[in-house]
Amino acid sequence: MDALDKLGISWQLLLSQIINFGLLMVILQQLLYKPVLNMLEQRRQRIAEGLEQADKASNAAAEAEAEKQAILEEARREAQEVRAQATRDAERIAQDVRSRADQEAQEIRMKAQADAEAQTAAVMADARRQIADLAIAATEQILGRELADRDEQERFVADYLAQQNGSGS
Amino acid sequence: MNLLRALVLNARIRNATIGIIVLLVLSVVPVFNAPPPHVELAAEALLEHGPKWFTNGLLTTILVDLIIILMAVFAVSRMKEIPGAWQNIMEMLVEGMWNLTQSIAGHGSANSRKFFPWVITIFIFVLISNYIGLLPGFGSIGIYHSPAESHAQAELGNQIAMAGAETVAVSAAAEEGKPVLVPLFRSPSADLNMTLALALISVFMTQFFGVQALGMRYFTKFFKNPFKDGMGAVVGFFELIAEISKIISFSFRLFGNIFAGEVVLLVMAFLVTFLLPSIFYGLELFIGFIQALVFMLLTLAFFTMATVSHDDHH
Repeated sequence: MDALDKLGISWQLLLSQIINFGLLMVILQQLLYKPVLNMLEQRRQRIAEGLEQADKASNAAAEAEAEKQAILEEARREAQEVRAQATRDAERIAQDVRSRADQEAQEIRMKAQADAEAQTAAVMADARRQIADLAIAATEQILGRELADRDEQERFVADYLAQQNGSGS
Repeated sequence: MNLLRALVLNARIRNATIGIIVLLVLSVVPVFNAPPPHVELAAEALLEHGPKWFTNGLLTTILVDLIIILMAVFAVSRMKEIPGAWQNIMEMLVEGMWNLTQSIAGHGSANSRKFFPWVITIFIFVLISNYIGLLPGFGSIGIYHSPAESHAQAELGNQIAMAGAETVAVSAAAEEGKPVLVPLFRSPSADLNMTLALALISVFMTQFFGVQALGMRYFTKFFKNPFKDGMGAVVGFFELIAEISKIISFSFRLFGNIFAGEVVLLVMAFLVTFLLPSIFYGLELFIGFIQALVFMLLTLAFFTMATVSHDDHH
């Protein structure tokens, strides 16, 4: 015991130190370790959450971008289609208009031709009649008498004219 | 020549050189000489006629407690998700110790949670105890006692000083009749009561955790049937002695390092008043940290080893 005394060791002081350590540990456990470890855990979770949300947000942004691209692509394709359709329609209409115009022109031409032919025929018939009349009159003048049979006379002239026509043309 | 030119031309180097020379010269001027070191192995009672248990070591222990609790209170009183500077430092300390505990006792294991408060409290308490002894005023501010009372203690201190360095064999008590200065503060780590208490706690809790984990099987480490396993019984006996000697190694390792460190600082201040002690202060800061870490890590390692069954080896 004398040696312990010289080293300054006494059971009272030893006990006080042991109790002191125990108390300090209990106090720090409540005051420092628990709150700090809780805070660290809380912060760890917050950071994990934040990272997760950032991931989500960037995923959503990528999705939105992809959707936008798809919509744009679709719109472009539709526009292309509309334009092609319009071009086709326009061509068809032009074709229609052109063919109808052609047809009408044809009709007009045919009608004009028919009219012209009819007129010519009428004029020719008229001319023939007048020529026959003139020929008869001339013949009457030349022969000095009227042919007795008027009907026979006309037939004679018509034959002659027909003959003339046949050889003259 | 280059060195000489640098000494003259570079203002900073020149001033530093002059400062060093002035300090060294002042060190030998008798006015500035430090008093001969007063080395006392045991913590001394503060009041000459007061209770013997009220020692400077005890007073400083209470001071250390208050400092640690204040450190904790400042860190957690206004705890924020985004920590302030002090909260950050304390979080770093707790988290570092927590990770260290987990790396030895197992990540996320129940053992880690069980051991953690013990080992981190040991670390913080020992660290602050070690460092507080380095503060100015420790060992120099005190109360003068009449010489006769503390004669026996001083004699031992004198012997220690003798053994340490022949030239510093001057103790206050050796000069009979002069009053003895009893320092008001003494680092708790330089008080055997504290180191022995921690050693007892550490070794006792090792047995406690061992029994908690393995039941009575834990003691088969020490006691084996000598008729069935003669060699094992001998090994167990040595294990038992090793276990008991842990108390001594724990307590005297810490006490020796810190006490010797303080003596070294005193002796250096006595030999060369200025400059020289600064170098040893740096050394003492390092030793104070290492000793706290060693005490904590050894305790943690013993705790962990005690919870592992030894039967698996065979």
